[in-house]
Amino acid sequence: MKFKAFLTDNGVNLLEKRFLPALDKIGKTCHLYLTRDNAIFLHNLLNGDGVQSVAQFRIQALFDDYRISSQNDDRIAFTIDVSLLLRALRSTVSISSEYGADVAAPDSDSSNRLQIKLVKKLPPNCTVAMPFLTVETRGYKSAVIQDIPISKPLSRAQVVELQNALEMAQDLPQTLVQVPDLIQLQNFVDRMKNVGDVLNVFISKYGDLRVDVSTTLISLGAEFRKLLVIGEQANEPAEDQNLSARSRSSKSISRGDGQTVQVSVKHFSKSLQCHLSKPDCAFYGIAPQGSCLTMIFQFFIPGSRQSDKSISLHCRLPVLDPGSS
Amino acid sequence: MSSWDEAPDVVCHLENVQGLVDVLTAARWKRHQFALLEFSEHGVVLIVEETACLQAKVYLKRDLFIRYDYNAHSRRRFGLSLGLFVDCLNAFSVPAHSNLIQIQYPGPQMQLLLKSVDSPDASICAEISTRIPETIAWDYNFEPAGANPLTFTVKSAALKEAIEDLEWPGSSIQIILEPDPPSVTLRGEGHGDLQIDFMYYANSDLLVAFQCDQRTSFKYKYKFLRATISNMPSSVLKENRGSKLSIGRGGMLKVQHLVSIAKPSVSHAYGGDPVGYQQSGRIAHIEFYVKPEESDD
Repeated sequence: MKFKAFLTDNGVNLLEKRFLPALDKIGKTCHLYLTRDNAIFLHNLLNGDGVQSVAQFRIQALFDDYRISSQNDDRIAFTIDVSLLLRALRSTVSISSEYGADVAAPDSDSSNRLQIKLVKKLPPNCTVAMPFLTVETRGYKSAVIQDIPISKPLSRAQVVELQNALEMAQDLPQTLVQVPDLIQLQNFVDRMKNVGDVLNVFISKYGDLRVDVSTTLISLGAEFRKLLVIGEQANEPAEDQNLSARSRSSKSISRGDGQTVQVSVKHFSKSLQCHLSKPDCAFYGIAPQGSCLTMIFQFFIPGSRQSDKSISLHCRLPVLDPGSS
Repeated sequence: MSSWDEAPDVVCHLENVQGLVDVLTAARWKRHQFALLEFSEHGVVLIVEETACLQAKVYLKRDLFIRYDYNAHSRRRFGLSLGLFVDCLNAFSVPAHSNLIQIQYPGPQMQLLLKSVDSPDASICAEISTRIPETIAWDYNFEPAGANPLTFTVKSAALKEAIEDLEWPGSSIQIILEPDPPSVTLRGEGHGDLQIDFMYYANSDLLVAFQCDQRTSFKYKYKFLRATISNMPSSVLKENRGSKLSIGRGGMLKVQHLVSIAKPSVSHAYGGDPVGYQQSGRIAHIEFYVKPEESDD
């Protein structure tokens, strides 16, 4: 089992400035799943109850000179502490930028590259070698090596399980609505946390999104209308236009044009932290049978309105049992 | 739903939600507090009290609202959770947005209804259940102690700092007014003594006004004194206003604050003169009444 690659500048930038800060908010540890074509960060795919997130990168988006081999079809997966990886990358970035200031020659970046590889080492006071992901920066006069402890690589059966979970998580909801302003929504949801724990999310084919918290003493909600709809859509009957938000949503549910699920406010708020990855748009949808709330983030090729197929990020929020609230 | 067809008793529109949040936060000294809200043709009064020793009243005159429709014949009075009300209003306050909200009472189930009315395609709504108030708020009946009022005005930030410093001796705080030389002393005894003097002549920037013709001294529970100032949002303290303290008959202490709830001038980045928004009328009044522990005289 071998893995060795160089992180490109773009890759470092994507991970250090955008994705790892977002993933760190979702959960402390995640699976890093490396294949011949993709590097995938997965949260909570095997152990059910938290926010599931999948951040997938084509190898070219992050690495060059990428070498991977394993007896399991060149697939390697392990768990890693996101915050440690982020810290390691941050410090290497600060080191290499220091060197970058010293070394003016443009061809010097080849000596100044960031290598990342899987190693087994004997830690101090241990008798058994442990696996590490090593991040190595070679500067002008010195090298900095950082070892990030990781779990034992997953067994063949576990990798199969992870791959299956990943495939299951790709199901798209039939209707997706585009969320207007993630940061504003985040602000609102953060304030909602004081009022209640359970969030009702309603999405309709008319382009309505409603999030509300409701207890016996208070109900507080935000409603967005006329959002861009992807997938199945419908026109709202004219007679509904002027009804209250609540009666419109119950009418559209009875017509089969809307769906509602309950999720944890905390989970919802965590998933909103994905805005740290600076997506160009975000879409929400409810999976068939209301099995989960899906959030899909889209990234454009810089300077265009074309979706960048080499990066993808989506989250799935577990739905609460209506009885348990 | 027939009640929707009739005009509700009160519909009002407010421009600066954050201002209202700040004012109400000042009267929020613990997590679960029951408040009495009263609408009348003159405006809104919110009353919070504790164990018949401490009462806060927040006055929001109708001029504070950009629209205030009052259709009832008598005062409308109901109880609600102050904490939920503040948390809920807070959700309407989005930084760097204008935050125009509508407050309406009653809803179909006697709720207080709140709604943002900025944009038809993105709105925030809330319904807060209300209840019938159990007791009529105790009337504190503040009367001057003698022919001349006993009163002083001190910079709110300085008062807050002094009262926070007095936390260390604890339990009860003595307030002493001395006519000659004119001074105010706050004194705590407990785990050690601490005395803070405001001398009128020496600290005229802190002690802004002073009126007293005889030595007066009363003791107040520390936690009640702290409640009168410690929850004042720092944005309000930065306005550098004064708080007026008066001692009435029997040592009843009245603490009055003025809080501006005008729109923050930062939100007028689109140019133009913000003078139109600096109406001096856009001031909310907060009054606290604190009963003394015992008489010294």
